[in-house]
Amino acid sequence: MHISDQTFDDWVRQYQRLLFGIAYWWTGSRTDAEELTQEAFFQAYRSRSSLREIEAVKGWLVGILRHCYAQMYRKGHSRIEISLDEVMERSGDTMDLRSDGTDPHDSLALRQALERLDERHRLPLVLFYFQELSYREIAEALELPLGTVMSRLSRARQLLHETLATPGALTLVKKIRKVNGI
Amino acid sequence: MNCDLYRSEMYAWRPGSDEKTFQPLFDHLDSCAECARFFEHLTASDERVGRTFQSYPQSPFLESRILSRLAHQRAQATARRPGRRVWMLAPAFVALLIVFFVWAAPWLQLARVNREMAILLSKPPALEINSTDRERLLEWSASQLQGSPTLPAELDKVEFRGAAAISVAAHRAVLLKMENEERASLVVVDAPLTQDNLFHSMHEGSGSASLWSDGRRSYVLLFNGTDQELQAYMTRMGIIA
Repeated sequence: MHISDQTFDDWVRQYQRLLFGIAYWWTGSRTDAEELTQEAFFQAYRSRSSLREIEAVKGWLVGILRHCYAQMYRKGHSRIEISLDEVMERSGDTMDLRSDGTDPHDSLALRQALERLDERHRLPLVLFYFQELSYREIAEALELPLGTVMSRLSRARQLLHETLATPGALTLVKKIRKVNGI
Repeated sequence: MNCDLYRSEMYAWRPGSDEKTFQPLFDHLDSCAECARFFEHLTASDERVGRTFQSYPQSPFLESRILSRLAHQRAQATARRPGRRVWMLAPAFVALLIVFFVWAAPWLQLARVNREMAILLSKPPALEINSTDRERLLEWSASQLQGSPTLPAELDKVEFRGAAAISVAAHRAVLLKMENEERASLVVVDAPLTQDNLFHSMHEGSGSASLWSDGRRSYVLLFNGTDQELQAYMTRMGIIA
């Protein structure tokens, strides 16, 4: 399939935010997410002839992002545990409710909860909540059987909710609140 | 099914899921207040998690960085492409060259023979053997060449007075001076310099020449005169009709 440079550039404009968001929740790092997103688009550009249907471009890009993620962590990157100081530095100026009504403490708690999940649960979970992809789309992007995706997601959601509901999971957030005088 | 199993099933449910599959769950929720509260809490928590997923840092320059690097890659690829095209054309160019040389080889050889004949006409070699004995001269000529001393039938009437060993187009050859015509010489080359036994005329400032072949050897009749005089001589000697 021939894909013009103009079409590909349009895809970059349309999907870069989506890929960055997924990568951010997968890695927990803005820098890694930017690196992953760029690499995913470059690899997608190089292999653009492998895309079978234009309609499947979103799932195709997410699949490439997943490959890049696997490559990045095979090459020696490891998920960096976020220190309290780093969390405070990143979030210290946004501790009030955001304009969209979300609580920044929820973001921290979510990030911590995701870090506690192993990769096979974290990857589909992010696709499930972040983009609300269907089970089938998640299965295609992760190259997994549909049944496997459904069982992993069910287990991942359970683990996530249990973690978020556990008082210990929010210790870090409470510490930050205390530091910020909340 | 007990409540624990129904609760694990709640995690498999999502809005829009197949109602039939989850009907037993919803039937249970209608009859179990505790599970109904749990499900309500789970649904609310899910919505909150979903909203939280949408609140992530922005990367305002990411799009322009990706686009500019893509543009750079494309520019590099365009710059490399002409070189690649030249390499791709190289086999075709070589093939074309081979075809040209195969096609042009007879013409190139004829041109070379023509140049060498012009030299022989203007600067004839000194005779190495002087004799009017045709058999002896032909025997001597055969020793300089390879194979039989016979000449083609069209040269039966020609008599010679001497011979010299020479080289024509890197092939061994002999030059025989005619007895009955001072201006004429015959060059016998031990190679087919022309494709057939048709007479090819060659004109030079010092005279004229006619080349033909019997398929094994080539014969060139050199004549210090015009083309018409050469043609008249060849007719007179029965070389051509």
